[in-house]
Amino acid sequence: MNATLEKYTPKLMVLPTFLILLIISLVPLIYVLGISFTNSTIAKPFNDFIWFENYKKAFTDEVFGTSLVNTLIFAFTVTTIQTFFGFILAFAMQRERKLSGVLRTLALLPLFTPPVAIAMIWRLIYDPNQGMLNYYLTKWGLTSGVIPFLGDKSLAFPSIMLADIWQWTPFCFLLCMAALQSLPRDPYEAAMVDGASGWYVFKRLTLPMVAPQIIVIFLFRLLIALKVFDLIYMLTFGGPGNSTQVASFYLYRVSFKQFQTGYGGALSILVLILISVLATLLTKGREAILKRVE
Amino acid sequence: MEDVKGIEHFESAVHAFEQKTPAFYLNRIFFGRPARIILLLLFILAILLPIFYIAMTSLKEPIEIRTSGALLPRGQITTINWVKAFANVPLVRYLFNSTVVAVISTILVLLVAVPTTYSIIRFKTGGWFLPAWILGTYVMPPIVVSIPIFAMVKMVNLQNTLAGLILVHMMANMPIAVWLIDSYIRSIPRELEQAAWIDGYSKWETLLRVVVPLIRPGILATGVITLILSWNEFLFALILTYGVKSNTFPIGISRYIGEHGLQFGEMSAAALAGIVPIYILVFLFSRNLVEGLTRGGVKG
Repeated sequence: MNATLEKYTPKLMVLPTFLILLIISLVPLIYVLGISFTNSTIAKPFNDFIWFENYKKAFTDEVFGTSLVNTLIFAFTVTTIQTFFGFILAFAMQRERKLSGVLRTLALLPLFTPPVAIAMIWRLIYDPNQGMLNYYLTKWGLTSGVIPFLGDKSLAFPSIMLADIWQWTPFCFLLCMAALQSLPRDPYEAAMVDGASGWYVFKRLTLPMVAPQIIVIFLFRLLIALKVFDLIYMLTFGGPGNSTQVASFYLYRVSFKQFQTGYGGALSILVLILISVLATLLTKGREAILKRVE
Repeated sequence: MEDVKGIEHFESAVHAFEQKTPAFYLNRIFFGRPARIILLLLFILAILLPIFYIAMTSLKEPIEIRTSGALLPRGQITTINWVKAFANVPLVRYLFNSTVVAVISTILVLLVAVPTTYSIIRFKTGGWFLPAWILGTYVMPPIVVSIPIFAMVKMVNLQNTLAGLILVHMMANMPIAVWLIDSYIRSIPRELEQAAWIDGYSKWETLLRVVVPLIRPGILATGVITLILSWNEFLFALILTYGVKSNTFPIGISRYIGEHGLQFGEMSAAALAGIVPIYILVFLFSRNLVEGLTRGGVKG
Protein backbone atom coordinates (compact mmCIF):
# COMPACT_ATOMS: atom_id res chain seq x y z
CA MET A 1 0.00 0.00 0.00
CA ASN A 2 2.65 2.48 1.11
CA ALA A 3 4.91 1.52 -1.77
CA THR A 4 2.19 2.15 -4.34
CA LEU A 5 1.34 5.45 -2.74
CA GLU A 6 4.98 6.43 -2.84
CA LYS A 7 5.19 5.47 -6.49
CA TYR A 8 2.32 7.76 -7.41
CA THR A 9 3.42 10.64 -5.18
CA PRO A 10 4.98 12.69 -8.03
CA LYS A 11 1.76 12.43 -10.02
CA LEU A 12 -0.26 13.31 -6.93
CA MET A 13 1.88 16.41 -6.44
CA VAL A 14 1.00 17.81 -9.86
CA LEU A 15 -2.64 16.71 -9.80
CA PRO A 16 -4.07 20.01 -8.46
CA THR A 17 -2.04 21.95 -11.01
CA PHE A 18 -3.24 19.68 -13.77
CA LEU A 19 -6.85 20.27 -12.74
CA ILE A 20 -6.27 24.02 -12.52
CA LEU A 21 -4.79 24.07 -16.00
CA LEU A 22 -7.82 22.19 -17.28
CA ILE A 23 -10.19 24.65 -15.63
CA ILE A 24 -8.31 27.81 -16.51
CA SER A 25 -6.97 27.06 -19.97
CA LEU A 26 -8.08 23.87 -21.75
CA VAL A 27 -11.80 23.89 -20.95
CA PRO A 28 -12.10 27.66 -21.54
CA LEU A 29 -10.30 27.36 -24.88
CA ILE A 30 -12.64 24.60 -26.04
CA TYR A 31 -15.58 26.66 -24.81
CA VAL A 32 -14.36 29.76 -26.63
CA LEU A 33 -13.71 27.79 -29.81
CA GLY A 34 -17.20 26.30 -29.62
CA ILE A 35 -18.91 29.58 -28.91
CA SER A 36 -17.02 31.30 -31.74
CA PHE A 37 -19.12 29.35 -34.28
CA THR A 38 -22.36 30.54 -32.76
CA ASN A 39 -24.36 33.71 -32.54
CA SER A 40 -24.23 33.74 -28.74
CA THR A 41 -24.87 36.58 -26.35
CA ILE A 42 -24.01 36.67 -22.67
CA ALA A 43 -27.59 35.71 -21.76
CA LYS A 44 -27.92 32.97 -24.43
CA PRO A 45 -24.72 30.98 -24.71
CA PHE A 46 -24.40 28.51 -27.60
CA ASN A 47 -27.27 30.07 -29.44
CA ASP A 48 -27.70 29.44 -33.14
CA PHE A 49 -24.84 27.72 -34.94
CA ILE A 50 -23.51 29.97 -37.72
CA TRP A 51 -20.20 28.35 -38.71
CA PHE A 52 -17.56 30.85 -39.77
CA GLU A 53 -19.75 33.96 -39.94
CA ASN A 54 -18.04 35.50 -36.87
CA TYR A 55 -14.61 34.95 -38.39
CA LYS A 56 -15.70 36.49 -41.69
CA LYS A 57 -17.01 39.46 -39.76
CA ALA A 58 -13.70 39.77 -37.91
CA PHE A 59 -11.74 40.14 -41.14
CA THR A 60 -13.84 43.11 -42.21
CA ASP A 61 -13.94 44.65 -38.71
CA GLU A 62 -11.79 47.74 -38.96
CA VAL A 63 -11.76 48.44 -35.23
CA PHE A 64 -10.41 44.93 -34.61
CA GLY A 65 -7.65 45.55 -37.15
CA THR A 66 -6.81 48.87 -35.50
CA SER A 67 -6.74 47.21 -32.09
CA LEU A 68 -4.28 44.55 -33.27
CA VAL A 69 -1.97 47.10 -34.89
CA ASN A 70 -2.16 49.29 -31.78
CA THR A 71 -1.33 46.34 -29.51
CA LEU A 72 1.78 45.56 -31.53
CA ILE A 73 2.84 49.21 -31.67
CA PHE A 74 2.29 49.56 -27.94
CA ALA A 75 4.12 46.36 -26.96
CA PHE A 76 7.15 46.90 -29.19
CA THR A 77 7.50 50.60 -28.34
CA VAL A 78 7.28 50.32 -24.58
CA THR A 79 9.36 47.15 -24.43
CA THR A 80 12.15 48.68 -26.52
CA ILE A 81 12.24 51.86 -24.46
CA GLN A 82 12.02 50.02 -21.14
CA THR A 83 14.73 47.51 -21.98
CA PHE A 84 16.98 50.26 -23.37
CA PHE A 85 16.69 52.56 -20.36
CA GLY A 86 16.65 49.64 -17.96
CA PHE A 87 19.95 48.48 -19.36
CA ILE A 88 21.60 51.92 -19.39
CA LEU A 89 20.56 52.51 -15.79
CA ALA A 90 21.65 49.06 -14.66
CA PHE A 91 24.98 49.62 -16.37
CA ALA A 92 25.43 53.00 -14.72
CA MET A 93 24.69 51.48 -11.34
CA GLN A 94 27.27 48.76 -11.49
CA ARG A 95 29.90 50.77 -9.64
CA GLU A 96 27.62 52.79 -7.36
CA ARG A 97 27.28 50.66 -4.26
CA LYS A 98 25.53 53.18 -2.05
CA LEU A 99 22.84 54.10 -4.53
CA SER A 100 22.26 50.54 -5.59
CA GLY A 101 20.82 49.50 -2.23
CA VAL A 102 18.31 52.33 -2.29
CA LEU A 103 17.45 51.89 -5.95
CA ARG A 104 16.76 48.19 -5.67
CA THR A 105 13.97 48.89 -3.22
CA LEU A 106 12.65 51.98 -5.00
CA ALA A 107 12.58 50.12 -8.32
CA LEU A 108 10.02 47.73 -6.86
CA LEU A 109 7.54 50.51 -6.12
CA PRO A 110 6.20 51.34 -9.63
CA LEU A 111 6.07 47.65 -10.54
CA PHE A 112 3.90 46.76 -7.56
CA THR A 113 1.74 49.87 -7.44
CA PRO A 114 -1.86 48.83 -8.18
CA PRO A 115 -2.50 49.66 -11.87
CA VAL A 116 -5.74 51.36 -10.88
CA ALA A 117 -3.73 53.72 -8.67
CA ILE A 118 -1.17 54.27 -11.43
CA ALA A 119 -4.01 55.20 -13.75
CA MET A 120 -5.33 57.69 -11.21
CA ILE A 121 -1.92 59.22 -10.69
CA TRP A 122 -1.41 59.77 -14.41
CA ARG A 123 -4.94 60.95 -14.94
CA LEU A 124 -4.23 63.65 -12.41
CA ILE A 125 -0.85 64.49 -13.93
CA TYR A 126 -2.36 64.82 -17.42
CA ASP A 127 -5.52 66.65 -16.35
CA PRO A 128 -5.96 69.83 -18.44
CA ASN A 129 -6.95 72.11 -15.56
CA GLN A 130 -5.79 70.50 -12.34
CA GLY A 131 -2.81 68.46 -13.46
CA MET A 132 0.86 69.09 -12.84
CA LEU A 133 2.06 68.63 -16.42
CA ASN A 134 -0.09 71.36 -17.96
CA TYR A 135 0.51 73.59 -14.96
CA TYR A 136 4.28 73.58 -15.36
CA LEU A 137 4.23 73.58 -19.17
CA THR A 138 2.17 76.75 -19.10
CA LYS A 139 4.01 78.30 -16.17
CA TRP A 140 7.40 77.88 -17.79
CA GLY A 141 6.02 79.14 -21.08
CA LEU A 142 6.64 75.92 -22.98
CA THR A 143 3.11 75.76 -24.34
CA SER A 144 0.65 78.56 -25.08
CA GLY A 145 -2.54 76.72 -24.25
CA VAL A 146 -3.71 73.75 -22.26
CA ILE A 147 -3.00 70.33 -23.79
CA PRO A 148 -5.63 67.60 -23.26
CA PHE A 149 -3.10 64.77 -23.23
CA LEU A 150 -5.62 61.94 -22.85
CA GLY A 151 -8.30 63.59 -24.96
CA ASP A 152 -6.18 64.20 -28.04
CA LYS A 153 -6.17 61.54 -30.76
CA SER A 154 -2.45 61.68 -31.43
CA LEU A 155 -1.30 62.28 -27.82
CA ALA A 156 -3.47 59.80 -25.92
CA PHE A 157 -1.53 56.68 -26.90
CA PRO A 158 1.95 58.12 -26.19
CA SER A 159 0.60 59.40 -22.86
CA ILE A 160 -0.52 55.91 -21.86
CA MET A 161 2.84 54.55 -23.01
CA LEU A 162 4.60 57.01 -20.71
CA ALA A 163 2.61 55.73 -17.74
CA ASP A 164 3.50 52.16 -18.73
CA ILE A 165 7.16 53.14 -19.10
CA TRP A 166 7.08 54.58 -15.60
CA GLN A 167 5.64 51.34 -14.28
CA TRP A 168 7.87 48.82 -16.08
CA THR A 169 11.28 50.43 -16.69
CA PRO A 170 12.33 49.66 -13.10
CA PHE A 171 11.43 46.01 -13.68
CA CYS A 172 13.66 45.83 -16.77
CA PHE A 173 16.30 47.68 -14.79
CA LEU A 174 16.27 45.02 -12.04
CA LEU A 175 16.49 42.19 -14.56
CA CYS A 176 19.31 43.89 -16.51
CA MET A 177 21.16 44.45 -13.25
CA ALA A 178 20.94 40.76 -12.43
CA ALA A 179 22.14 39.94 -15.94
CA LEU A 180 25.15 42.24 -15.62
CA GLN A 181 26.02 40.85 -12.20
CA SER A 182 26.01 37.32 -13.56
CA LEU A 183 28.84 38.08 -16.03
CA PRO A 184 32.21 36.40 -15.39
CA ARG A 185 34.92 38.66 -13.94
CA ASP A 186 38.03 37.25 -15.61
CA PRO A 187 37.69 38.90 -19.03
CA TYR A 188 37.40 42.28 -17.32
CA GLU A 189 40.56 41.77 -15.32
CA ALA A 190 42.38 40.87 -18.51
CA ALA A 191 41.06 44.00 -20.20
CA MET A 192 42.12 46.12 -17.23
CA VAL A 193 45.64 44.77 -17.44
CA ASP A 194 45.67 45.67 -21.10
CA GLY A 195 44.45 49.16 -20.25
CA ALA A 196 41.42 49.06 -22.54
CA SER A 197 39.07 52.05 -22.52
CA GLY A 198 35.60 51.96 -20.99
CA TRP A 199 33.80 52.17 -24.29
CA TYR A 200 35.97 49.50 -25.80
CA VAL A 201 35.40 47.11 -22.92
CA PHE A 202 31.70 47.81 -23.10
CA LYS A 203 31.46 47.18 -26.82
CA ARG A 204 33.74 44.16 -26.99
CA LEU A 205 33.10 42.43 -23.67
CA THR A 206 29.96 43.50 -21.87
CA LEU A 207 27.59 43.79 -24.79
CA PRO A 208 28.28 40.42 -26.46
CA MET A 209 28.26 38.59 -23.13
CA VAL A 210 25.07 40.14 -21.85
CA ALA A 211 23.14 40.23 -25.14
CA PRO A 212 21.51 36.78 -24.86
CA GLN A 213 20.07 37.63 -21.46
CA ILE A 214 18.90 41.06 -22.61
CA ILE A 215 17.01 39.39 -25.46
CA VAL A 216 15.29 37.10 -22.95
CA ILE A 217 14.33 40.12 -20.84
CA PHE A 218 12.99 41.86 -23.95
CA LEU A 219 10.85 38.86 -24.95
CA PHE A 220 9.61 38.30 -21.41
CA ARG A 221 8.50 41.89 -21.10
CA LEU A 222 7.05 41.95 -24.62
CA LEU A 223 4.79 38.98 -23.90
CA ILE A 224 3.45 40.74 -20.81
CA ALA A 225 3.02 44.03 -22.70
CA LEU A 226 0.81 42.34 -25.31
CA LYS A 227 -1.74 41.74 -22.54
CA VAL A 228 -2.17 45.46 -21.78
CA PHE A 229 -5.66 46.19 -20.46
CA ASP A 230 -5.84 48.00 -17.11
CA LEU A 231 -4.26 51.31 -18.11
CA ILE A 232 -6.39 51.52 -21.28
CA TYR A 233 -9.55 50.73 -19.35
CA MET A 234 -8.94 53.41 -16.77
CA LEU A 235 -7.19 56.14 -18.71
CA THR A 236 -9.00 56.34 -22.05
CA PHE A 237 -11.46 53.44 -22.42
CA GLY A 238 -10.03 52.90 -25.91
CA GLY A 239 -10.70 56.47 -27.02
CA PRO A 240 -10.67 59.14 -28.23
CA GLY A 241 -12.17 57.56 -31.32
CA ASN A 242 -10.39 54.23 -31.38
CA SER A 243 -6.94 55.76 -31.11
CA THR A 244 -5.99 53.74 -28.00
CA GLN A 245 -8.00 50.63 -28.83
CA VAL A 246 -5.97 47.48 -28.06
CA ALA A 247 -6.81 43.80 -28.49
CA SER A 248 -7.55 42.97 -24.85
CA PHE A 249 -9.74 45.98 -24.42
CA TYR A 250 -11.65 45.41 -27.66
CA LEU A 251 -12.33 41.80 -26.65
CA TYR A 252 -13.65 43.08 -23.33
CA ARG A 253 -15.87 45.63 -25.08
CA VAL A 254 -17.36 43.11 -27.51
CA SER A 255 -17.99 40.43 -24.88
CA PHE A 256 -18.90 42.36 -21.76
CA LYS A 257 -20.22 45.70 -23.03
CA GLN A 258 -21.92 44.67 -26.28
CA PHE A 259 -22.60 41.15 -24.89
CA GLN A 260 -21.70 39.51 -28.23
CA THR A 261 -19.89 36.58 -26.67
CA GLY A 262 -19.97 34.54 -29.89
CA TYR A 263 -18.19 37.21 -31.85
CA GLY A 264 -15.92 37.91 -28.87
CA GLY A 265 -15.01 34.21 -28.88
CA ALA A 266 -13.99 34.33 -32.53
CA LEU A 267 -11.85 37.42 -31.90
CA SER A 268 -10.27 35.67 -28.87
CA ILE A 269 -9.25 32.71 -31.02
CA LEU A 270 -7.72 35.02 -33.62
CA VAL A 271 -5.79 36.96 -30.98
CA LEU A 272 -4.49 33.72 -29.49
CA ILE A 273 -3.32 32.46 -32.87
CA LEU A 274 -1.59 35.77 -33.51
CA ILE A 275 0.21 35.73 -30.14
CA SER A 276 1.29 32.09 -30.60
CA VAL A 277 2.69 32.83 -34.06
CA LEU A 278 4.46 35.93 -32.74
CA ALA A 279 5.91 34.04 -29.76
CA THR A 280 7.19 31.26 -32.02
CA LEU A 281 8.74 33.71 -34.49
CA LEU A 282 10.42 35.63 -31.69
CA THR A 283 11.91 32.53 -30.07
CA LYS A 284 13.18 31.38 -33.46
CA GLY A 285 14.59 34.86 -34.04
CA ARG A 286 16.31 34.73 -30.69
CA GLU A 287 17.95 31.43 -31.53
CA ALA A 288 19.16 32.85 -34.86
CA ILE A 289 20.68 35.87 -33.12
CA LEU A 290 22.38 33.69 -30.52
CA LYS A 291 23.98 31.57 -33.23
CA ARG A 292 25.30 34.68 -34.92
CA VAL A 293 26.80 36.00 -31.68
CA GLU A 294 28.62 32.72 -31.16
CA MET B 1 43.92 34.87 -34.49
CA GLU B 2 41.12 36.59 -32.60
CA ASP B 3 43.54 37.31 -29.77
CA VAL B 4 46.05 39.13 -31.90
CA LYS B 5 43.32 41.26 -33.40
CA GLY B 6 42.06 41.98 -29.89
CA ILE B 7 45.44 43.16 -28.67
CA GLU B 8 45.80 45.47 -31.65
CA HIS B 9 42.43 46.96 -30.79
CA PHE B 10 43.38 47.44 -27.17
CA GLU B 11 46.58 49.17 -28.20
CA SER B 12 44.80 51.54 -30.54
CA ALA B 13 42.31 52.27 -27.79
CA VAL B 14 45.08 53.10 -25.35
CA HIS B 15 46.66 55.24 -28.01
CA ALA B 16 43.42 57.12 -28.58
CA PHE B 17 43.34 57.74 -24.85
CA GLU B 18 46.77 59.28 -24.62
CA GLN B 19 46.03 61.50 -27.59
CA LYS B 20 42.89 62.89 -25.91
CA THR B 21 40.89 62.29 -29.05
CA PRO B 22 37.10 62.74 -29.15
CA ALA B 23 36.87 59.12 -28.00
CA PHE B 24 38.60 60.14 -24.78
CA TYR B 25 36.07 62.85 -24.04
CA LEU B 26 33.10 60.74 -25.05
CA ASN B 27 34.39 58.10 -22.70
CA ARG B 28 34.66 60.65 -19.90
CA ILE B 29 31.16 61.94 -20.46
CA PHE B 30 29.36 58.62 -20.70
CA PHE B 31 31.37 56.52 -18.32
CA GLY B 32 32.50 59.15 -15.83
CA ARG B 33 31.22 59.13 -12.28
CA PRO B 34 29.27 62.44 -12.44
CA ALA B 35 27.29 61.23 -15.45
CA ARG B 36 26.41 58.01 -13.66
CA ILE B 37 25.32 59.77 -10.49
CA ILE B 38 23.18 62.30 -12.36
CA LEU B 39 21.51 59.53 -14.35
CA LEU B 40 20.72 57.51 -11.24
CA LEU B 41 19.42 60.51 -9.30
CA LEU B 42 17.13 61.34 -12.24
CA PHE B 43 15.89 57.76 -12.12
CA ILE B 44 15.09 58.02 -8.41
CA LEU B 45 13.34 61.33 -9.04
CA ALA B 46 11.28 59.87 -11.90
CA ILE B 47 10.16 56.96 -9.73
CA LEU B 48 9.22 59.09 -6.75
CA LEU B 49 7.75 62.20 -8.36
CA PRO B 50 4.32 60.78 -9.36
CA ILE B 51 3.89 59.09 -5.97
CA PHE B 52 4.95 62.23 -4.12
CA TYR B 53 2.57 64.25 -6.29
CA ILE B 54 -0.57 62.34 -5.30
CA ALA B 55 0.55 62.29 -1.69
CA MET B 56 0.75 66.10 -1.82
CA THR B 57 -2.53 66.36 -3.72
CA SER B 58 -4.29 64.31 -1.07
CA LEU B 59 -3.24 66.93 1.48
CA LYS B 60 -4.33 70.02 -0.48
CA GLU B 61 -7.56 71.96 0.01
CA PRO B 62 -10.10 70.85 -2.64
CA ILE B 63 -10.36 74.45 -3.92
CA GLU B 64 -6.61 74.66 -4.36
CA ILE B 65 -6.59 71.40 -6.34
CA ARG B 66 -9.22 72.75 -8.72
CA THR B 67 -7.29 75.92 -9.42
CA SER B 68 -3.67 74.86 -9.50
CA GLY B 69 -1.66 71.81 -10.48
CA ALA B 70 1.43 72.86 -8.55
CA LEU B 71 3.41 70.08 -6.94
CA LEU B 72 3.55 71.47 -3.41
CA PRO B 73 0.53 72.70 -1.48
CA ARG B 74 0.51 76.48 -1.12
CA GLY B 75 -2.27 76.91 1.36
CA GLN B 76 -3.13 75.05 4.52
CA ILE B 77 -2.46 71.33 4.63
CA THR B 78 -5.65 69.42 5.31
CA THR B 79 -6.88 65.91 6.02
CA ILE B 80 -10.34 66.64 4.61
CA ASN B 81 -9.72 64.52 1.48
CA TRP B 82 -8.83 61.50 3.57
CA VAL B 83 -11.86 61.93 5.80
CA LYS B 84 -14.14 62.35 2.77
CA ALA B 85 -12.65 59.42 0.90
CA PHE B 86 -13.36 57.07 3.78
CA ALA B 87 -16.80 58.59 4.41
CA ASN B 88 -18.10 58.70 0.81
CA VAL B 89 -16.85 55.35 -0.39
CA PRO B 90 -16.88 52.03 1.51
CA LEU B 91 -13.08 52.01 1.29
CA VAL B 92 -12.62 49.96 4.45
CA ARG B 93 -14.85 47.26 3.01
CA TYR B 94 -12.95 47.25 -0.29
CA LEU B 95 -9.62 47.00 1.50
CA PHE B 96 -10.99 44.22 3.69
CA ASN B 97 -12.25 42.30 0.64
CA SER B 98 -8.91 42.71 -1.12
CA THR B 99 -7.03 41.48 1.94
CA VAL B 100 -9.20 38.38 2.30
CA VAL B 101 -8.90 37.51 -1.41
CA ALA B 102 -5.15 38.17 -1.57
CA VAL B 103 -4.23 36.28 1.61
CA ILE B 104 -6.36 33.18 1.04
CA SER B 105 -5.60 32.89 -2.67
CA THR B 106 -1.88 33.23 -1.93
CA ILE B 107 -1.94 30.45 0.66
CA LEU B 108 -3.77 28.21 -1.83
CA VAL B 109 -1.34 29.10 -4.63
CA LEU B 110 1.64 28.12 -2.50
CA LEU B 111 0.02 24.86 -1.40
CA VAL B 112 -0.44 23.93 -5.05
CA ALA B 113 2.66 25.42 -6.66
CA VAL B 114 5.41 24.17 -4.32
CA PRO B 115 4.67 20.41 -4.64
CA THR B 116 4.02 20.81 -8.37
CA THR B 117 7.29 22.57 -9.05
CA TYR B 118 9.17 20.05 -6.94
CA SER B 119 7.59 17.15 -8.79
CA ILE B 120 8.26 18.69 -12.21
CA ILE B 121 11.92 19.33 -11.46
CA ARG B 122 12.86 16.22 -9.46
CA PHE B 123 10.70 13.55 -11.04
CA LYS B 124 10.22 15.16 -14.47
CA THR B 125 6.48 14.63 -14.03
CA GLY B 126 4.63 15.67 -17.16
CA GLY B 127 7.85 15.74 -19.23
CA TRP B 128 8.31 18.84 -21.34
CA PHE B 129 4.59 19.23 -21.83
CA LEU B 130 3.49 20.31 -18.35
CA PRO B 131 6.03 23.15 -17.97
CA ALA B 132 5.21 24.35 -21.50
CA TRP B 133 1.50 24.28 -20.71
CA ILE B 134 2.06 26.27 -17.53
CA LEU B 135 4.15 28.87 -19.35
CA GLY B 136 1.64 29.07 -22.20
CA THR B 137 -1.15 29.70 -19.71
CA TYR B 138 0.87 32.54 -18.23
CA VAL B 139 1.46 34.16 -21.63
CA MET B 140 -2.19 33.92 -22.65
CA PRO B 141 -4.08 37.19 -22.15
CA PRO B 142 -6.67 36.57 -19.41
CA ILE B 143 -9.38 38.37 -21.38
CA VAL B 144 -9.34 35.50 -23.90
CA VAL B 145 -10.68 33.02 -21.32
CA SER B 146 -12.81 35.49 -19.38
CA ILE B 147 -16.14 34.51 -20.99
CA PRO B 148 -15.91 30.81 -20.05
CA ILE B 149 -14.48 31.62 -16.63
CA PHE B 150 -17.38 33.96 -16.05
CA ALA B 151 -19.75 31.17 -17.17
CA MET B 152 -18.07 28.56 -14.95
CA VAL B 153 -18.12 30.77 -11.87
CA LYS B 154 -21.79 31.42 -12.53
CA MET B 155 -22.44 27.71 -12.99
CA VAL B 156 -21.12 26.91 -9.49
CA ASN B 157 -23.02 29.90 -8.14
CA LEU B 158 -19.98 31.80 -6.93
CA GLN B 159 -20.49 34.98 -8.94
CA ASN B 160 -20.27 38.13 -6.85
CA THR B 161 -18.67 36.29 -3.92
CA LEU B 162 -15.20 36.53 -2.47
CA ALA B 163 -14.88 32.73 -2.69
CA GLY B 164 -15.27 32.86 -6.47
CA LEU B 165 -12.64 35.53 -6.86
CA ILE B 166 -10.29 33.69 -4.47
CA LEU B 167 -10.48 30.56 -6.61
CA VAL B 168 -9.93 32.46 -9.85
CA HIS B 169 -6.99 34.42 -8.45
CA MET B 170 -5.47 31.23 -7.11
CA MET B 171 -5.70 29.59 -10.52
CA ALA B 172 -4.57 32.67 -12.42
CA ASN B 173 -1.48 33.13 -10.22
CA MET B 174 -0.47 29.47 -10.17
CA PRO B 175 1.68 29.63 -13.36
CA ILE B 176 3.71 32.63 -12.17
CA ALA B 177 4.22 30.98 -8.77
CA VAL B 178 5.60 27.81 -10.40
CA TRP B 179 7.83 29.97 -12.59
CA LEU B 180 9.20 31.83 -9.53
CA ILE B 181 9.76 28.80 -7.29
CA ASP B 182 11.43 26.83 -10.11
CA SER B 183 14.91 28.33 -9.80
CA TYR B 184 14.94 27.98 -6.01
CA ILE B 185 14.20 24.26 -6.16
CA ARG B 186 16.74 23.79 -8.94
CA SER B 187 19.46 25.23 -6.69
CA ILE B 188 19.05 22.51 -4.04
CA PRO B 189 21.75 19.85 -4.34
CA ARG B 190 20.25 16.50 -5.26
CA GLU B 191 22.45 14.71 -2.72
CA LEU B 192 20.56 16.26 0.17
CA GLU B 193 17.32 14.75 -0.98
CA GLN B 194 18.90 11.41 -1.77
CA ALA B 195 20.29 11.29 1.76
CA ALA B 196 16.78 11.91 3.05
CA TRP B 197 15.41 9.06 0.94
CA ILE B 198 18.07 6.73 2.25
CA ASP B 199 17.08 7.74 5.77
CA GLY B 200 13.63 6.42 4.92
CA TYR B 201 11.85 9.71 4.25
CA SER B 202 8.96 9.46 1.85
CA LYS B 203 8.79 11.91 -1.05
CA TRP B 204 6.28 14.07 0.79
CA GLU B 205 8.45 14.08 3.93
CA THR B 206 11.49 15.01 1.88
CA LEU B 207 9.60 17.89 0.35
CA LEU B 208 8.28 19.17 3.65
CA ARG B 209 11.31 18.58 5.90
CA VAL B 210 14.24 19.07 3.54
CA VAL B 211 13.18 21.09 0.50
CA VAL B 212 10.71 23.55 1.98
CA PRO B 213 13.02 24.77 4.78
CA LEU B 214 15.79 25.29 2.21
CA ILE B 215 13.68 27.33 -0.19
CA ARG B 216 11.99 29.43 2.46
CA PRO B 217 13.26 32.71 0.93
CA GLY B 218 11.80 31.62 -2.41
CA ILE B 219 8.45 30.73 -0.90
CA LEU B 220 8.39 34.04 0.91
CA ALA B 221 9.21 36.00 -2.27
CA THR B 222 6.64 34.06 -4.30
CA GLY B 223 4.03 34.50 -1.60
CA VAL B 224 4.53 38.25 -1.38
CA ILE B 225 4.52 38.62 -5.17
CA THR B 226 1.30 36.63 -5.66
CA LEU B 227 -0.25 38.47 -2.73
CA ILE B 228 0.46 41.80 -4.42
CA LEU B 229 -0.65 40.53 -7.85
CA SER B 230 -3.96 39.44 -6.37
CA TRP B 231 -4.35 42.74 -4.52
CA ASN B 232 -3.75 44.65 -7.76
CA GLU B 233 -5.70 42.36 -10.11
CA PHE B 234 -8.29 44.20 -12.14
CA LEU B 235 -9.91 42.24 -14.98
CA PHE B 236 -11.32 39.20 -13.15
CA ALA B 237 -12.40 41.32 -10.21
CA LEU B 238 -14.16 43.59 -12.70
CA ILE B 239 -16.22 40.87 -14.37
CA LEU B 240 -16.81 38.63 -11.33
CA THR B 241 -17.81 41.12 -8.64
CA TYR B 242 -20.44 43.80 -8.85
CA GLY B 243 -21.32 45.12 -5.45
CA VAL B 244 -19.85 46.53 -2.25
CA LYS B 245 -20.10 43.05 -0.73
CA SER B 246 -17.42 41.61 -3.00
CA ASN B 247 -15.74 44.51 -4.82
CA THR B 248 -12.03 44.62 -4.23
CA PHE B 249 -10.02 47.79 -3.84
CA PRO B 250 -9.13 48.29 -7.54
CA ILE B 251 -12.75 47.91 -8.68
CA GLY B 252 -14.04 49.98 -5.78
CA ILE B 253 -11.87 52.96 -6.56
CA SER B 254 -12.26 52.66 -10.33
CA ARG B 255 -16.02 53.11 -9.75
CA TYR B 256 -15.02 56.21 -7.84
CA ILE B 257 -14.19 58.06 -11.02
CA GLY B 258 -17.64 57.51 -12.47
CA GLU B 259 -19.73 58.09 -9.37
CA HIS B 260 -18.18 61.20 -7.97
CA GLY B 261 -16.88 63.02 -10.98
CA LEU B 262 -13.22 63.84 -10.78
CA GLN B 263 -12.62 64.73 -7.14
CA PHE B 264 -8.86 64.48 -7.36
CA GLY B 265 -8.23 65.11 -3.68
CA GLU B 266 -10.44 62.26 -2.51
CA MET B 267 -9.25 60.11 -5.38
CA SER B 268 -5.62 60.58 -4.37
CA ALA B 269 -6.39 59.74 -0.76
CA ALA B 270 -8.34 56.62 -1.80
CA ALA B 271 -5.57 55.49 -4.16
CA LEU B 272 -2.96 55.98 -1.44
CA ALA B 273 -5.03 53.93 1.00
CA GLY B 274 -4.53 50.97 -1.33
CA ILE B 275 -0.92 51.79 -2.18
CA VAL B 276 0.44 52.13 1.36
CA PRO B 277 -0.10 48.49 2.47
CA ILE B 278 1.72 47.32 -0.68
CA TYR B 279 4.62 49.69 -0.14
CA ILE B 280 4.99 48.49 3.45
CA LEU B 281 5.27 44.91 2.15
CA VAL B 282 7.79 46.03 -0.47
CA PHE B 283 9.98 47.77 2.10
CA LEU B 284 9.80 44.83 4.51
CA PHE B 285 10.71 42.23 1.90
CA SER B 286 12.61 44.23 -0.72
CA ARG B 287 15.71 42.02 -0.68
CA ASN B 288 13.65 38.89 -1.08
CA LEU B 289 11.48 40.35 -3.79
CA VAL B 290 14.40 41.51 -5.93
CA GLU B 291 16.00 38.10 -5.58
CA GLY B 292 12.78 36.29 -6.47
CA LEU B 293 11.99 38.46 -9.48
CA THR B 294 15.45 38.49 -11.00
CA ARG B 295 16.01 34.76 -10.57
CA GLY B 296 12.86 33.97 -12.48
CA GLY B 297 13.26 36.65 -15.09
CA VAL B 298 16.60 36.04 -16.74
CA LYS B 299 16.89 32.30 -16.94
CA GLY B 300 17.13 31.26 -20.58
